[in-house]
Amino acid sequence: MDVFQGLAQGFQVALSLDGILFVLIGVSVGTVIGMIPGLGPITAIAVMIPITYGMDPAIALLLMAGVYYGAAYGGAASSILLNAPGVSEAVATTFDGYPMAKQGKAGKALAVAAIGSFVGGTISVVFLTFFAPLLSKVAVSFGPPEYFALMLLGLTAIASLSEGSTIKALISGVIGLMIATIGIDAQTGTLRFTFGSPHLMEGIDFLVIALGLFALAEVTSLILGRKNKMDDMHNVGSLRLTKEEYKEMGPTMGRQSVLGFLVGVLPGAGGTISSFLGYISEKKLSKKPEEFGKGSIKGVAAPETANNAANNGAFVPLLSLGIPGSGTTAVMLGALIVLGIQPGPLLMTDHPDVFWGVIASMYIGNVFLLILNLPLIPYLSRILLVPRPLLISLVIVFCVIGVYAISFSTFDLYLLLAFGIIGYLMRLLNFPAAPLLLAFILGGMMEQAFRQSLTISNGSLSIFVTSPIAGTMLLLAILSFIVPLIKNRKAAGKENIDKSA
Amino acid sequence: MKKLLSVSVLIFLMVFAAACSSGGDKEASGSGDEGEGSSWTPENSIEIVAPSGAGGGWDTTARMAAKMFGETGIIEQDIGVVNKPGGGGAVGWAYIKERNSPYNLFVSSPPILLVPLNGQSQYGHEDFTPISNLIADYGAFAVKADAKWDNLNELFEDMKKDPSSITVVGASSPGSMDHIQFVKIAKAAGVDITKIKYVSDQDGGALTSLLNGSVDVYSTGIAETVEQVKAGKIKVLGITAEERLEGDVISDFQTAKEQGIDASFVNWRGFFGPPDMDEAALKFYEEKFKALSESSEFAEIRNKYGWNEMYMNSQEYKEFLDKEKADIKGLLEELGLAK
Repeated sequence: MDVFQGLAQGFQVALSLDGILFVLIGVSVGTVIGMIPGLGPITAIAVMIPITYGMDPAIALLLMAGVYYGAAYGGAASSILLNAPGVSEAVATTFDGYPMAKQGKAGKALAVAAIGSFVGGTISVVFLTFFAPLLSKVAVSFGPPEYFALMLLGLTAIASLSEGSTIKALISGVIGLMIATIGIDAQTGTLRFTFGSPHLMEGIDFLVIALGLFALAEVTSLILGRKNKMDDMHNVGSLRLTKEEYKEMGPTMGRQSVLGFLVGVLPGAGGTISSFLGYISEKKLSKKPEEFGKGSIKGVAAPETANNAANNGAFVPLLSLGIPGSGTTAVMLGALIVLGIQPGPLLMTDHPDVFWGVIASMYIGNVFLLILNLPLIPYLSRILLVPRPLLISLVIVFCVIGVYAISFSTFDLYLLLAFGIIGYLMRLLNFPAAPLLLAFILGGMMEQAFRQSLTISNGSLSIFVTSPIAGTMLLLAILSFIVPLIKNRKAAGKENIDKSA
Repeated sequence: MKKLLSVSVLIFLMVFAAACSSGGDKEASGSGDEGEGSSWTPENSIEIVAPSGAGGGWDTTARMAAKMFGETGIIEQDIGVVNKPGGGGAVGWAYIKERNSPYNLFVSSPPILLVPLNGQSQYGHEDFTPISNLIADYGAFAVKADAKWDNLNELFEDMKKDPSSITVVGASSPGSMDHIQFVKIAKAAGVDITKIKYVSDQDGGALTSLLNGSVDVYSTGIAETVEQVKAGKIKVLGITAEERLEGDVISDFQTAKEQGIDASFVNWRGFFGPPDMDEAALKFYEEKFKALSESSEFAEIRNKYGWNEMYMNSQEYKEFLDKEKADIKGLLEELGLAK
């Protein structure tokens, strides 16, 4: 069956009354869930499994897919408004989203996020439509050495995430790597740094660290700083973007739709890593990298486009190979099995209505999300006009609920508090928090991939250079580490000459 | 202006309410009267704990059992499923021990034997009351479709000659299920199990690593292999069941026993109650699980998931678990993993 025929069949499913209704329900639920911290799409979809029992499998899957990509839309709101990311893929959005909100441009930031999500979601669905079977080869091309190289490449970006001292950024990164080792070591089953507590055995949840370092630390400095006014607040709800701003973010969104999608195709990489890689790569490409971190539109557009594109990318291995690329798609795979459909390499030929129905529904779902999200922006933004003491309490409640919802354990709340304090101290001493978080995300997978590779190669390091993909990425990693150093030295040298002259 | 403000506050209140209720409900009020008489019926709603996050095997089994108890009317009280993730199950087990109420049950499988043996939990199956086992799954060992091995004996012969040339991948860490099921069969075939190269991939990359040739053997569950076998991407060298299983494709999978290797491994799944459960309550649940296992509605669920029927009553279950644990302990000691 050719693509257009398939797509036509897909739209028959997606544009049926049931189809439209359940896409709408899915994306609405997804948006709300994205806004609530802790309650990620995995939980929502798992709870839905008994409900979908007996439903038409195609409709059930498009409902669950709607929740999944809807959550990536909703996640931006709390990141931008409160500096409190509700889902892990929205963490990178805080880097520029929150500074924008502080400057009174919350509406604008939310609009950029919504448009970015729409562009990323839509362009990647087009890729999914035309190249899914082709790209399934990309999805299986990565083994342990390739993953190690990819993670290392991501890690070299630490330097570019720092403002000011590179040394401090590196220290922060090393702490992140250390935290990533907490828990049961996958390669030996040994407990590391758990101090006998079963609560630490599965490691520390990413969200505990993110909410502590970002939201709680921010709240603490607001309270202690007794800064009463944010900057200019009267236009807070306006989402009007100028022509120049559209022009500025256009290429960013285009690039990140592609990059995000490709990262999403790789099983295990996913939305969080793609949003970080998106942010970093745009900062490197930008002519004005100094604007990043201070409220750059591109800094919001990049991660929001990339994470939505990655979510759709994760459907490539799921639909064309039956391999789940993320926790959420793994749960969806389980749900499909209940419905009598075995996802696998034959899904496209055995159940074309499911395969194409889901793809077609994503076109519709993305339009729904844009229509749903844009009108909400002025209302959401006004949360910032709430009196300061009330808003601060709100953020704290938000963080506590979010962390508690992860595993219903009070232990995590103490951890949250600890990371809040650490985050505040880091601010006082000018240590950037982003490298810590990035190293934490990449560190776990990087270490495992490194050790898997060495087990496979019987301890020989050559495995990292004999694979062309891994070799190329390691080369890129070295370049991206050295080039800025040389540039800095040259710049410093020039300055010296200028001074002496 | 004021209106807008109240609207936005309202939205957030709703959001919080939703978050709270998702966490707080289903907390059954546990401590009802246990009654002195010989019969016991629950007076409150029942809680089944899945000691893992949402979406995994424990969670699915618990949710399906709860749903079918309700739909068939076998148990009239409401049954809620609660996730208590952490410590590979240890957090959930500690919770049940602490509640110590006949209204709090939990679902479990081989990790309740493995986790304490690996020194990762102070509680094991001996600390609880086995109620009934319900279903079973079996392990499968798969290789790429174009691999040179066609059965387990050929693979194990090569492993004996040069253990460093073959890498086995699984989704869990050494000493846990994917590893132990392979080790158990390999040992019976005469392989030196201390030399097996095993890597664990917990980020969903195990199957891809097999397909792209990074690793040689994939130790997993049968269900995970079926579609890939149908599509001609991988082949299954052997499964850990006692006898041939039924089902499309699955009926072609040879057991290890058929290949002359005298060992099997069952991934059983069943339900447990608190320590020293009241006789009458235990009897109540035992009967209900038996009825569930025999119902046609649950048979349909088993069919859908590819689970096999494996009912055991409390007594049988307990003896079975003690024997399994002794077997596994021997393996772990030889591997130097037992704590």
